[in-house]
Amino acid sequence: LWHFLATLIRLVSTFNGVPAGLADADTIFALSSGHGRCGVAVVRVSGSASSMALRCMAGLKRRLPSPRTALLRSITDPHSKEILDRGLVLWFPGPHSFTGEDSVEFHIHGGPAVITAVLQALGSMPGMRPAEAGEFTRRAFQAGKLGLTEVEGLGDLIHAETEAQRRQALRQMSGDLERLYQGWSHRLKRCLAHVEAFIDFSEDELIEDGVLERVDSSVSTLLAEIERHLKDERRGERLRSGVHVVIAGATNAGKSSLLNTLCQRPAAIVSSIAGTTRDVVETGLDIGGFPVLLSDTAGLRDSTDLIEQEGVRRARERCLLVLNKTDLLPEAQRQKLERELKGVSGLPPVCLISCQTHEGLQDFLSVLQSRVKTLCGDPLSDAPTLTQARHRAHLQQCVAALAQYQKLRDTDLALAAEGVRLALTSLGRITGKLGAEEILDIIFKDFCIGK
Amino acid sequence: QLQPSWRHLSRQCYDVIVVGGGHAGTEAAAAAARMGAETLLVTQKIHTIGALSCNPSLGGVGKGHLVREVDALDGLCGRAGDWAGINFSILNRSKGPAVWGPRAQLDRQRYREFIQGELRSISRLTVLEGSVEDLLVAEPSPDEPGSHRVTGISLGMHSVVLTTGTFLSGSIFVGQTTSPGGRIGDAPSSAGLSHTLKERLGLRVGRLRTGTPPRIVKESVDFALAELHPPDRRPTPFSFMNTHTRCKVEEQVPCYLTYTTPGVERVVQESLHLNCHIQQDTKGPRYCPSIESRVLRFPGRSHQVWLEPEGVTSDLLYPQGLSMTMPPEMQLRLIREIPALHRAEIHSPGYGVQYDYVCPTQLSSALQVKTTQGLFLAGQINGTTGYEEAAAQGLWAGVNAACRALSTPPVSLSRTESYIGVLIDDLVCRGVTEPYRMFTSRAEFRTALRPDNADLRLTPKGYELGCVSPSRYQEAMRVQRSLQDAMAALQALTLSTARCREKLPDVRVSESKNAALTGMELLQYKELSFETLASVFPERLSSYLEFSQRLKIEAVYKPHCDINKKEIERIQKEENMFLPQDIDYFSLPASLSQEAREILDRVRPTTLGAATRLEGITPAAVVSLYNYVQFAEKKGENGQQKTTRSK
Repeated sequence: LWHFLATLIRLVSTFNGVPAGLADADTIFALSSGHGRCGVAVVRVSGSASSMALRCMAGLKRRLPSPRTALLRSITDPHSKEILDRGLVLWFPGPHSFTGEDSVEFHIHGGPAVITAVLQALGSMPGMRPAEAGEFTRRAFQAGKLGLTEVEGLGDLIHAETEAQRRQALRQMSGDLERLYQGWSHRLKRCLAHVEAFIDFSEDELIEDGVLERVDSSVSTLLAEIERHLKDERRGERLRSGVHVVIAGATNAGKSSLLNTLCQRPAAIVSSIAGTTRDVVETGLDIGGFPVLLSDTAGLRDSTDLIEQEGVRRARERCLLVLNKTDLLPEAQRQKLERELKGVSGLPPVCLISCQTHEGLQDFLSVLQSRVKTLCGDPLSDAPTLTQARHRAHLQQCVAALAQYQKLRDTDLALAAEGVRLALTSLGRITGKLGAEEILDIIFKDFCIGK
Repeated sequence: QLQPSWRHLSRQCYDVIVVGGGHAGTEAAAAAARMGAETLLVTQKIHTIGALSCNPSLGGVGKGHLVREVDALDGLCGRAGDWAGINFSILNRSKGPAVWGPRAQLDRQRYREFIQGELRSISRLTVLEGSVEDLLVAEPSPDEPGSHRVTGISLGMHSVVLTTGTFLSGSIFVGQTTSPGGRIGDAPSSAGLSHTLKERLGLRVGRLRTGTPPRIVKESVDFALAELHPPDRRPTPFSFMNTHTRCKVEEQVPCYLTYTTPGVERVVQESLHLNCHIQQDTKGPRYCPSIESRVLRFPGRSHQVWLEPEGVTSDLLYPQGLSMTMPPEMQLRLIREIPALHRAEIHSPGYGVQYDYVCPTQLSSALQVKTTQGLFLAGQINGTTGYEEAAAQGLWAGVNAACRALSTPPVSLSRTESYIGVLIDDLVCRGVTEPYRMFTSRAEFRTALRPDNADLRLTPKGYELGCVSPSRYQEAMRVQRSLQDAMAALQALTLSTARCREKLPDVRVSESKNAALTGMELLQYKELSFETLASVFPERLSSYLEFSQRLKIEAVYKPHCDINKKEIERIQKEENMFLPQDIDYFSLPASLSQEAREILDRVRPTTLGAATRLEGITPAAVVSLYNYVQFAEKKGENGQQKTTRSK
């Protein structure tokens, strides 16, 4: 019977002009937990045939388990009836599931052999196929379960490597950013409606006085709010992609040693020969929950180029001065150095360390951590922060468009209104109210299977 | 079936038959005939062809855009307006050329004369007085979808355009009396027609209402108590073919403005129980409401009343804003509560009309009923209000009726290129819940769809289709070439900021601008007109003085139109993704909510673009549909490749 029904589904979808292998009528499955050996693995199934898969593989011939409740079952191959594993099964009838479709989860033991056997068993049933990259999320989006920024938040949550990244992603996924942008959108819609009413009706019918003045003040307030949101020094984006920290200094100062000490593994080649590091060595670190991309460089040089000098000056504003090899200094000389350093004005914070003995390393780490934290901000405090360069670009367009309204309001109201419309479109692009093709391009390109 | 006079007709079969001689019907008949179709116009009374049933005016904000576009497609109403206009003004003059509203008060007599004269002069067009009793309906031809095919009205034909206005099951309301009719003094269309549309063809119909104010005897008005509103000092013609209007500057007749008082509100309240029309909850126009609904919705306010002339020699005034349906004696009491009308006499009382409209989502973008081959609808029968909206649909239905008769594919106008496209797209995609009126805010690409450039947007396309005469086409081409040359000359004219200040001291060129400015960039300054610029560089620019205003507008709007281009291209791309008309949305293997499926099944949008604009269709649903279209296309391509290979 199962075979018959599944074949029927396949036939119907072919008749409708959609290749069965690609249509959403297919039921998809994938390993949703990480790859590699682990205690428990989760295999997710979504689509109309989910319930049949559950019946066949968990031996539930009579009736399905109650929704969203874990049930311990033997998991068997639907053809050979061989027991593959013993594990938990969960039944999520649509639309109350992640994808909005009927879904099933198999929580099985995480050995590669067990996982392969279960996936093969699922794949052996007609109408079932492995999920494509991002397909679960895509179905959730198509079913209206997630907004565009929420989808992005989910993507970040899956990719989050540090604690602070996780908090920020979770906040975005739960819709904080979506609400903020929707709120602006809503207010802009009102502004636009008022301007339009003024254009279309003010000469024919009586329109209350002060309509445009109210729009003016709304636009200014919004503009100020969006600009404030934009002036976050890129904290959110930085937290999302990591703070770049560069170790720069004279050759043979021990820059590579510092890198190796910080990441606790020999990422860079160290030797006593000056100039050992030829290329930039980059490594990712988690410092107090914040992501840091640490690069070792081939050494800093003085420059006579004006632009480069300015670059160096700006770089110094964000500097930490680290003096290595304290183990080589006699105590008296060291105290003298510390005294002299205090006397120099305009120096960045100074840390004296020794990569050899790890002396002063803790202090340096806490100084570095507080620096990084200032740069990233606390993802849970105050307003949600911008997390993506894409959002920033659209918000900047939005600001420019609102400025157009202010500039043209007295000379050409039609063009001024166009500014409000553009501003609204730009906001709409963030939350996903845009052309079909663009939505697809933005969302689904960098998701991996089963997520 | 027609009344006996049909025997006098020259032929037994026409390409296109148009039913109704109002704004939609006359444009439809004229357009079909221009396209080369043998056309018959059937109307109850020949002498009411071209009658202005309600207000004696044409154009306005949004509506003026439609008039310009109808004219660009060689329609009648723009030229008729120029002939009959007695008071021209451009509304929204201070708000930017994209939203200017060319408008005119009309002489009713002259308007009718012009339209009737034009129709008489069109070869291939026959006008017949008579009432259409019913439509003949047959099984559809197999190669076109649809469940019925209209074959004639006892005469044979290929297409029929119904423009019944308020006459379809129309009833007239004055006070507590109701009588069948579409306009006072005229009978409604036949019951057989209503029956066929509803029962035989299974079309969903709704009911709408409208109304007209009492006409007032001019002599009895105390103009000293009203504000005088003179027309523009230089009348601007509607038509691209006219350089001036028939009416001279000094012959123009002014309008007067006055206001309602608390006494008006009292009379409305006191007469409510005597007012059938207002008690019924049929949907009336929100934007042109009766005085009763205005007072009930916004109590305690003073409302505008415009006193508009009905013609050069007419003794009557039209009080715009005083549409009412109370008993005649109460109407007299009401108007006398208005200061300027304190001793006014009523010539004929106001009344309300309720009529059937066909839910326009049942139409294709060619205005043909989707399920009935050869049946086209235009005007109030589609749920719109206004002469201009009717004329625009009439013209387009006429063009498509002729296309069908001449066996050429149906044509549609995009909302990215015209207000007519916006109007039709809104109707067939979204439908109506109240009488639909055009506003500029309905057009997403308002800065590109301006009244000044309707000829460049539409005349070449119209000529290609066959509904535009060679002389108009040549004129449009001349204008297009001149504008292009002039813009090239402006672009080639470059001035350093220093020279700008020397040559054009009144223009405040900002310091931060590039070192050199082109003529196009200079014209973007508010304080510089093309005339001034041409007087400084006469050898380069004076030959284009004829287009001063258009060039100024082009220069100001060009940067904004360039920004819009990408968005327009995206929409046009989505509009080129066709959704098959036979999809079963309920079994479509896509993640669509039940609600979305029901909407799609009911409306059956023809393109993905149309689907995105449906209410209740979420972006997610559009993505699903997009996937479907992509797969369907790919499959189609593969199929084609296979067939070519096998050859």
